[in-house]
Amino acid sequence: MSGAKHRMRCKKMRNQPSSVTYSSPGWHNGGETSRSGHWHEHTPQGRGHSAPPSGWFRGHHVGGNVKGGQGYSQELPKYITASTFAKARAAEVKAMLKAVTKTTGSSHVFGALPKHMRRRAMSHNTKRLPARLREGALKMLEKSQQAGQKEKKEQPKSKSRKARRRHGNLLLEFNRRQRKNVWLETHIWHAKRFHMVKRWGYCLGDRPTYKCYRACYRAMSNYCLLQDLSYYCCVELQGQEELLLGALSRLTSTETGPTFAAGLCLSGRRQGSAVLYRADQYPTQPLGPVLFLWRPRSAGSTHRQLWIWVHPSLKQDLLPELQLVCQCSEAVVPPTPVPLPAPEPDPAPGPTEAPDREPPAGRKRKRKSALGGSGDTVPVKKILGDGTRSPLTPVTWMSDSTGIVIRDLTMEIVRYRLIGPLSHSVLTDALTPASVCEAASKPETSCFWWPEHCKEESNMSLHREQADIFHLLKGLCSTGEVPSGSVLGLTVDDPRLTLPGKRIKVAPDVQQLEGEADDGRRALMLQGVPEHCCQSALWDQAVRHNVTHSKIPEQELNRMKSELLVPGSRLRPTPPQGRVPLLLVQQPGKQAGQEMASWGAGWDLLLPKGWGMAFWVYRDVRIGGQQEALKHSQNKGASHFPNDFPDCPAGASFLQEQETQLLDNFKRRPPAKRPNYIKHGCLAPFRCPWQQLAEEWEMIVREGEEGDLPAPPPRPQPQLQEETSAPLPQEVTSRPDSAASPRSTVIVLRNRKALRTVSAWCRPTCSRGRRWRQPAQLEQLGPASVERLRTAHPSSLVWVRLSLLRKGRPSLHAMICVPTREDLQQLRTDPACCGPQEPRHTDHFMSRLKRRRKALKPASSSHKEERKPPEPGSAPSLTQGPEPGSAPSSTQGPEPGSAPSSTLRPEPGSAPSSTLA
Amino acid sequence: MAEPCSPAAKCLAQSAAAGGEGPGVEMDPVEFTLRKRLPRKLPKRRNDVYVNMKTDFRAQLARCQKLLDGGGQREICVHGLGLAINRAINIALQLQASSQGALQLAANTSTVELVDDLEPEEAGLGGAEPLTHTRNNSAIHIKVYYPDPQ
Repeated sequence: MSGAKHRMRCKKMRNQPSSVTYSSPGWHNGGETSRSGHWHEHTPQGRGHSAPPSGWFRGHHVGGNVKGGQGYSQELPKYITASTFAKARAAEVKAMLKAVTKTTGSSHVFGALPKHMRRRAMSHNTKRLPARLREGALKMLEKSQQAGQKEKKEQPKSKSRKARRRHGNLLLEFNRRQRKNVWLETHIWHAKRFHMVKRWGYCLGDRPTYKCYRACYRAMSNYCLLQDLSYYCCVELQGQEELLLGALSRLTSTETGPTFAAGLCLSGRRQGSAVLYRADQYPTQPLGPVLFLWRPRSAGSTHRQLWIWVHPSLKQDLLPELQLVCQCSEAVVPPTPVPLPAPEPDPAPGPTEAPDREPPAGRKRKRKSALGGSGDTVPVKKILGDGTRSPLTPVTWMSDSTGIVIRDLTMEIVRYRLIGPLSHSVLTDALTPASVCEAASKPETSCFWWPEHCKEESNMSLHREQADIFHLLKGLCSTGEVPSGSVLGLTVDDPRLTLPGKRIKVAPDVQQLEGEADDGRRALMLQGVPEHCCQSALWDQAVRHNVTHSKIPEQELNRMKSELLVPGSRLRPTPPQGRVPLLLVQQPGKQAGQEMASWGAGWDLLLPKGWGMAFWVYRDVRIGGQQEALKHSQNKGASHFPNDFPDCPAGASFLQEQETQLLDNFKRRPPAKRPNYIKHGCLAPFRCPWQQLAEEWEMIVREGEEGDLPAPPPRPQPQLQEETSAPLPQEVTSRPDSAASPRSTVIVLRNRKALRTVSAWCRPTCSRGRRWRQPAQLEQLGPASVERLRTAHPSSLVWVRLSLLRKGRPSLHAMICVPTREDLQQLRTDPACCGPQEPRHTDHFMSRLKRRRKALKPASSSHKEERKPPEPGSAPSLTQGPEPGSAPSSTQGPEPGSAPSSTLRPEPGSAPSSTLA
Repeated sequence: MAEPCSPAAKCLAQSAAAGGEGPGVEMDPVEFTLRKRLPRKLPKRRNDVYVNMKTDFRAQLARCQKLLDGGGQREICVHGLGLAINRAINIALQLQASSQGALQLAANTSTVELVDDLEPEEAGLGGAEPLTHTRNNSAIHIKVYYPDPQ
């Protein structure tokens, strides 16, 4: 019996009488007789008054046999006294009754009920119990309540539910809960429908609670999937263009592709992306990928504004680096109004003429006091933006020497991502360009930004142009038809005014497809959005503040709607505060590989904060969470941050967390139910030991070079190099002499030129339906060129994309193995071949444990077995793990900058993927 | 979308991409990456069949046959672009041959404008700008129909 079982039994039997003894010296026959079930008088004395009618006694046939009767005569009493006998029985009956009536410690009252009579919530409501059990249950309930009160001391939920759900109280509660983790503006919406996770200091929707895996995929490929990306952090840089570029160039390298200085991005027409490194550290110490967006130049000014969008796990690494390269060390204390060192050259009137509104910082403090106080007099304000940050945390840094200002705009701008070919249709359907304010001609100033904005004719013409381009989008059939990364600035009406009464399905406008605006559309498809149309008032902090704080409350809007003469018609004229500046940014779809081009393209919608729920599109879209975002990048063949960046600090910590979580899950099962990874030959089931892989590969290469013998190492390098089309190893390895100084970290190779070379080498020489010419300019594959590449990029990993030849799905942390010659041969001859199976390994730990347990069995029956997964240090060598020629899976040619599957590796033996056949 | 084989329309691009390597502007492959955008996708009726080079030929033929026989369509339209023109013609002729003269064909050709993006590989300061080119590719639209009884 195991320990737990034993304990349970002990607990159950605690109140039970262990054995009934009725041992009193006077009653000599009590104890003995209690054990005999059927007592019969068998004495010569008793024969007179009670002769045995039957000859049976305790299963023995006596039948007057004197000898048989004598056999029992020693134990059996000669006579009994009725009173003593009855007393002895009475003691037994008492003990039995006690055992029956006494409930044991663990069981509840309704434990006495058979299962089919138990009902839900019986423990709360005793009326649900049968009447005979109610009393006990009530007692128990009281007892548990008292115990609970003792523990918690005071019930915080003293208020009734109705009181708690009252708006003000609810808001207080929500604000309290937002102090630890930031809530997005769509949090409540998500929390009702999604599994929420707390990640990176935010509460994020992980995946919907309903079943929609395939539906989300279909939405991404055919319709539109919406995702709230507001948790991405925006960092704003302001300063002179040359200074900014000079500072930022220390973080990037032109070898990895376009940088901040790329022409189209610099003009503000396109959104760019780059991988950042620590200052002057390229190619080591990468930080992670960022998206960036320049504000279009305004006439005659070199002052520029740049937004860098980073993942939240990356922000705390990036900000110090930015401060370092920009020499921005002085934090501007926020309570003073945020200074603008250089007059902002914006077309919109900057200052907000709102006499009745307090400055933003002051407002923040007021909210704080409202939180701290009872909240009776001052109405509680909903937290907009980051609720976890204390108002005194600096968000702005500026430098005296360079004049660059860094501002942390986290949670200041809402970012929604629409994915799918119809996302532009959803946008054109949901948004209407802002109607021009009639009051523009009036001389007096308005406290809202739009009437002021309307007063300048240049603004109006720009707005008209932007609206025209926006209307052109209606004529497109797919989001991928616009140049990737295009930016469009726009000002729209409050979308709550144009909510559709009925759920509708969006589709591209067929009339516009054949329409007359063909030239405009052609220009849009070829050249993209012209530069001046990328300008938006969203860049302007003052306008953002004005828009955020002058938003009509939902209640007010509904009241206005209810006063309409025709119910359900549009509110006219549009209230002056209902104009929102926004930016639309096209997201390119699948760019890697040849198939499914521009899959998953979409638009990003950038809004001022506070407007999130107003724009949360109620059209025909599906909503996705973190899981869907991951799937989107995987299907797109793009790397997902931080999963696929093991060399970045954020990625490394992510892998660490993932490992602990997986290990936790693994350990939660009973030992007998855990998969035995040793037997499966799985070396690192919970993480990818890239570092170890790189080091050991280096060792193998060294051995192969020195000995030049192909046999002993399982995967000799020379052989690998002969099979030119065989996949390049997961990494390009370093020479022995360069390995003398051991590197501490591996890096992911991001040099475009090297990647292109590797990709050309690994490309299948012939493939169905594809013609491929080897570019003459590239280096030919040979020992010398391989050597050169290895020296140039020591111990680096390469992202590869694997495609499976047959059915199957690679699981997380599966292994890829290099196919041997026999595997390829077999694949060529047998088309149905699925590749060799990984043979079963013997678990030496297990057998040893078994042996020991056999020896110790009598001594320790409750010995607990704890089988640890192989530790990275003690694990058998990674490269020797799979037997030679076990699981064949070869990588398809890595396309530069393409593939995400650095952590996704096909399961050994499940599906071989090789394109060599 | 009740259409069983709707991916065909999407995959039309591949055939186009494979077929349309016209002698465009001469460019240095080291400096630019050529990225082909998909051809414009037009709304699709039930009796439109877009032919590609990836799906098995017999499957595409069977699909057309099914539309004409059991699908209740009096006419279907077979579209092919670039390399897939051959296959579209082949399918139409096979349909006609297997119908013992009951089906008639009417072919139309057209030109489809395709867009290529050229992205610079190394865009340093003052590097090359991304370029966009258009090129034309031929397409065929074959109407396969039962002639009217009168």
